[in-house]
Amino acid sequence: MTRNILSKTAATRRKVLKFGAAASALPWVHIRTAGAAGTVSIFFWDHWVPAGNDAIRKQVKAFEDKNKTEVKVDFITSQGQQTTLTINAEAQAKSGHDVITIANWTLRDQEDNLENVDDVVKRLEAQSGPANEVANYLGKGKKGWFAVPSSWGTQNKGPVARISLFKEHAGLDVQKMYPAANVPQTPEAKAWTMDVFLATAEKMHKAGKPFGLGIGTTADNTDMAGSIFASFGAQLIDVDGKIQIQSAAVRQALEYFQKLVKFLPADAQSWDDSSNNRALISGAASFIYNPPSAWAVALRDAPAIAEDIWHFAPPAGPKGRFTPHSMNFWGIWKFAKNKSAAKELIEFLMQPDNVAERSTAVLGYDLPPFAKMSESHVWDKIGPPVGTVYNYPVRPQHHSVAHLAHMPAPPEIAVQVYNRGTLTTMLAKMKAGESIDQVIKWGNIELEGFI
Amino acid sequence: MSGATAAAGGPVPRKKSKVGSLERQQRISIRSSYAALSIFVVIFLVPPFYMVMTALKSSAEISAQQGNPWIVQSPTMENFIQLATDASFQRYFINSVWVTAMVVIISMAIAILAAFSLSRMGFKGAQVLSTGVFLTYLVPPSLLFIPLFQIVGTLGLINNTWVLVLLFPTLAVPFCTWIMIGYFNSIPKELDEAALIDGATYPQILVKIFIPVALPGIIAATIFAFTVAWGGFLYPLAYLYSADQATLTVGIVRELIKGDVFAWGMIMAACVMAAAPPIIVYTFLMDYYVAGLTAGATKG
Amino acid sequence: MADGSTMVVGASATTPPAPRQGGTMKRLARRRSMAALALCAPLIALIICLKIYPTFYAIFLSMLDRKMNHFVGLDNFAYLLGRPSFHLVIFQSCLFAVTAVVMKAIIGFILAHLMHNIRGSSQRIWRGLLLVPWVIPLSLSTLTWWWLFDPSYSAFNWTLSWLGLPEVPFLGTVWNARISVIMVNTWFGAPFFMIMYLAALKSVPEQLYEAAAIDGASAWQRLIFITLPMMRNIILITVLYSLIVTFADFDIVRILTNGGPQDGTHLFATYAFAVGIQSGNIPRGASVSLFMFPVLATLAFFVLRDVLNRNKEVAT
Repeated sequence: MTRNILSKTAATRRKVLKFGAAASALPWVHIRTAGAAGTVSIFFWDHWVPAGNDAIRKQVKAFEDKNKTEVKVDFITSQGQQTTLTINAEAQAKSGHDVITIANWTLRDQEDNLENVDDVVKRLEAQSGPANEVANYLGKGKKGWFAVPSSWGTQNKGPVARISLFKEHAGLDVQKMYPAANVPQTPEAKAWTMDVFLATAEKMHKAGKPFGLGIGTTADNTDMAGSIFASFGAQLIDVDGKIQIQSAAVRQALEYFQKLVKFLPADAQSWDDSSNNRALISGAASFIYNPPSAWAVALRDAPAIAEDIWHFAPPAGPKGRFTPHSMNFWGIWKFAKNKSAAKELIEFLMQPDNVAERSTAVLGYDLPPFAKMSESHVWDKIGPPVGTVYNYPVRPQHHSVAHLAHMPAPPEIAVQVYNRGTLTTMLAKMKAGESIDQVIKWGNIELEGFI
Repeated sequence: MSGATAAAGGPVPRKKSKVGSLERQQRISIRSSYAALSIFVVIFLVPPFYMVMTALKSSAEISAQQGNPWIVQSPTMENFIQLATDASFQRYFINSVWVTAMVVIISMAIAILAAFSLSRMGFKGAQVLSTGVFLTYLVPPSLLFIPLFQIVGTLGLINNTWVLVLLFPTLAVPFCTWIMIGYFNSIPKELDEAALIDGATYPQILVKIFIPVALPGIIAATIFAFTVAWGGFLYPLAYLYSADQATLTVGIVRELIKGDVFAWGMIMAACVMAAAPPIIVYTFLMDYYVAGLTAGATKG
Repeated sequence: MADGSTMVVGASATTPPAPRQGGTMKRLARRRSMAALALCAPLIALIICLKIYPTFYAIFLSMLDRKMNHFVGLDNFAYLLGRPSFHLVIFQSCLFAVTAVVMKAIIGFILAHLMHNIRGSSQRIWRGLLLVPWVIPLSLSTLTWWWLFDPSYSAFNWTLSWLGLPEVPFLGTVWNARISVIMVNTWFGAPFFMIMYLAALKSVPEQLYEAAAIDGASAWQRLIFITLPMMRNIILITVLYSLIVTFADFDIVRILTNGGPQDGTHLFATYAFAVGIQSGNIPRGASVSLFMFPVLATLAFFVLRDVLNRNKEVAT
C-alpha cells in the first residue's frame, strides 16, 4: 500500500485572487469556468485511517458535479492541536474556510461565531432518527443547533488489546469476553472491572509489554483519564461550575491512578495522540485506549500484530462503565461567504449512504451520531481478525455510557481544563512521585484560574 | 594544553632545545586537536546522519524495529520519489522558493539603500538609526507574533504567503544592513569623493563603485536573508494554516506528521530535501558568509 | 576597483558644479540629506510599522479581556503571576537561556581553539563539517531529534540497551526533557560561537603569542593574559546576542515537547503560543510574551552600551 499520504486537493483559491501578484507568481491557480454556482471551502479533520481522506474527497467530487458548486477542500490534522489552532486563528481573523470540522468542547467555545443550522439537523433527524446525547449536549444551544453532528472522525477511544498477550500474561480471553456477535453481556465481561484492569496492567508491566496509556496533555490521554474518573464518579468541576477536586470521589480516583501510573511506560508523561498508536503497532505495548486507527495502520505496516488486535468495552468502576467519546461536528462560520452551499454540502455528506460508505472505507472508525445509522452492519465483519471492531461502537450489551472528559462541567470552564490537559498533568505529577495532597493542591490553583 | 605546566615558571632553556620541543609540542597539539575535533564532528553529525538513514528506509522497515536502527538495511529511494512527485510537497517547495526569493530581493534592496545612505550620505539622526537598527533584534518575533497576528488579520493576509514576504524582512533587514554598513565603511572615502568631484551622482557611485567592491558583503547578506526566509518557522506556523499555503518547514512539521502513519521515512526524506538548498549554498559560499558574519564583530 | 575608475573617467566629461557661496552649499547639503533620508525610508517604515507599532500594540492587547471587549488593566499579568504553571515558565526560560548559552560559549570556545591549531585548507573542511548543525533549518533538525528521542523507536535507547545500559525516557520526565531541549539548542548554536571565536582568534596578532612564548608563558597563561582579553568584546557580544535569541526561542520546544511534560519545558514563546493562538486568548498570550521584555531590556542596555562604544571607536 503506497497511498500518497500527502495528496491534497487545491481547487480554487479565492484568497489568492485578491492578490493579483500572488496569482501570477503561483502558477497552479486553477479557476473553474462558467456554470459553477459559487464556491465553498471546507476543512476536514485529517483522517487517521489512511483511506478516509480519499473516500470523502470522492463524495465531495460527486457533490461538485451534482450542484455545479466548487468545493475547496483542506485536510488539517489534529496532531499538534493543529485543528484547534486553525479554528481559533480563523475565529480571530474572521476569515478562512466556510465550513470547519470542530470537536468537543472547542465547539461550545465557538458557539457565538457559528451559524445556526437548526434546519439542517432537523431534516437529518427526520431522516435518520434523533442525534445522540453527546451531540445534543454539545451542539445545541438556546437557539437550536449551531453545528451539525458528523460521523467524520467521531470516535470512541475504548480498550484495544493484543489478544495473545492478554491470554498469555493475564489469562484474559478478550474475544470470549466481547465476542463479535449480538449476545447478552458475558460473565467475563461483567467481571471486567477497574480492579482487574489494574491487576492486568501490573502483569503486563512485569511481562515487559506495558499498557500504552499516555498521560501527556493531548486529547487521547485526557479522554482516557476522563472516562476512568467518570467511572469513579469523580468530577474536577461540577455541573454548577464549582471546583470539586477536594471530593472523596476525586481522591478515590487519584488513589487508583497512583497505583496505575507506576505500571505505565517511563515516558508516558510525554505521550501525545500518536505515541500510543506507535507503541501498539511496534509491539511494545499490549493495550491502549484508541479508535481502530492503530489497528488500521498496523494492517499495512505490521500485519501480524494487526491480526492479534481486538477492540472492546472499558472496565467498570464503582459508578459504571464510561466509553471515552470524541465527537466531531461540521459548523459554518457566521462570516462564511457561501452559507447556503455550505449547508447543502454538509447535508449531502451526512446522507446515510455517504456516511455508511465512509465508515466502511475507514474500517469502522467513524461512528454516526444519528440513531438509525448506528444500526448499520458496517462493524460486523471487518477484520482481520474478523469482528475486531464489532464492539468498538457502544452496544447495549456493554452497559456503557459514551462520555466526554469533564462532562458535565460548564463548557466555558471545561474547554480550558480540557485544552490545558490539567487532569493528565495531575497524573503525570503523581508518576513523578508527588503525593495526592500535593497534586490536589496544585490542581486546585490551576482550576481556580479557569473560573 | 598538556605539558604546559612543565614549561611554566622554569628557567628559559637554551634556544635550540626550545625550538625542538616547541615543534614536538606543536605536533602533539595538532594531533590531539584532530582527535578532539573528530569526536565533535561525530557528535554534531549524528542527527543529519540519522536523517539520511531514516529517509532511505521503508515504512515497513521502520515499524519492524529489527536490528540496528542507525543503519538502513534495504535502502530505497521510494520516499524521495514519492515526495518529488507529490503535488502538496511540490507546493511547499514552490511556496518556500517564492517567499525566499521575494524576501531576499526586498531585504537586500532595503539594506543596500539604507546602508549606503547611513555610511556615506548622512542626515540628522543617521547615527541613531544605525544603532537602532541593531536594537530591533531585542524585540524578537516570539514577542511580536501575537500583535502581528491581529495586524495581519486586519490586512486580510492571514493564511496567505504574502504575510511572510511582509514579515520576514523584519528579521533579515537589520543584520543585512549592519553587514552592508560594515563593508561600505571599509571602502576608502577618497574613492567616492573623487567620483563626486568628477560629477558622478550618488546612484552612479552606488552602482559602479560600492556594489562591485562590496560584493562579498552582498553575498554574505544575501545568504543571511535566504537562511531567515527558508528556515522561518514561527510566522508560517502561526499565520498560515491551510496546506496549499504552507512553506517547507511547516508543511513538513505539520502536514507530514500524522500520528498513526509511519511516515517517518518520508518525513526525514522531506527534511533532507528541504535542508539541501541551504547546505548547497553553504558548501560553495561558506567563506563569504563566515566573513560577513564575523566582519562586524572582529572590528570591535 | 576597475569599474570604479572607468566610471570616474567617464563621469569627468560632465563639468562638476564649482562650489560657490554658502547658500548653495547649504541647499545642496539639505538636498543630500533629504535624499539620504529617502534611501532610509523603507528601513524606517519597516521598523516603525512592523517592530515598534506591534510592540506598543502588544502592550495595549495585554490589557484587554479574553473576548477583547473590556479593558482589564494589569489583570492578565496578575493572573499569570498567580499560576504555578507560569512560575515554571519563568524558571524554565531562564534556565534554558542561561544554561544553553553557557554551554554554547564553552563548546564554541573549545572548538575555535582546536580549529585554530589546524592551519591550511583542512581547516575549511573541518569548519564546514562542524557548521552543519547551524545550516539545517532548526525546525527540521529538531524533528530529527524528536525521532531520535521517540519512546518506541528511539535510536539512542537502542544504542543504550545495546551497550547494556538502562533506557532513558528522554522526553518523559521534566528534567530529562529540560536537558534534552537544552542539548538540542546547544547542538544547534555551538557552531555559531565557533565561527565567531575563530574569527576573533585569527585577529589576535601572532607576535603577541611569539613574544609570550619567548618569555616562557604557559599555554594557560597565554589563554588568560592574551587570548581572553583580546577576545573580550567578541565574547561579550556573541553571548549577549545569543542570550536574546535563546531566551526567545520557539522552534525547539514547540516541536520536541510542546511544553510538556507537565508544562515543565514551556518557554515564554511557546507558552504565549499555546495560550494566545492555540487557546484563542490573544490578550493573555500577549501578556505572556511581554514578560520577556524586562530581561530583553536589560540585555538591550548592555548591547547598546557596547554598540555605542564601538561606534566611538570606529569614529576615532
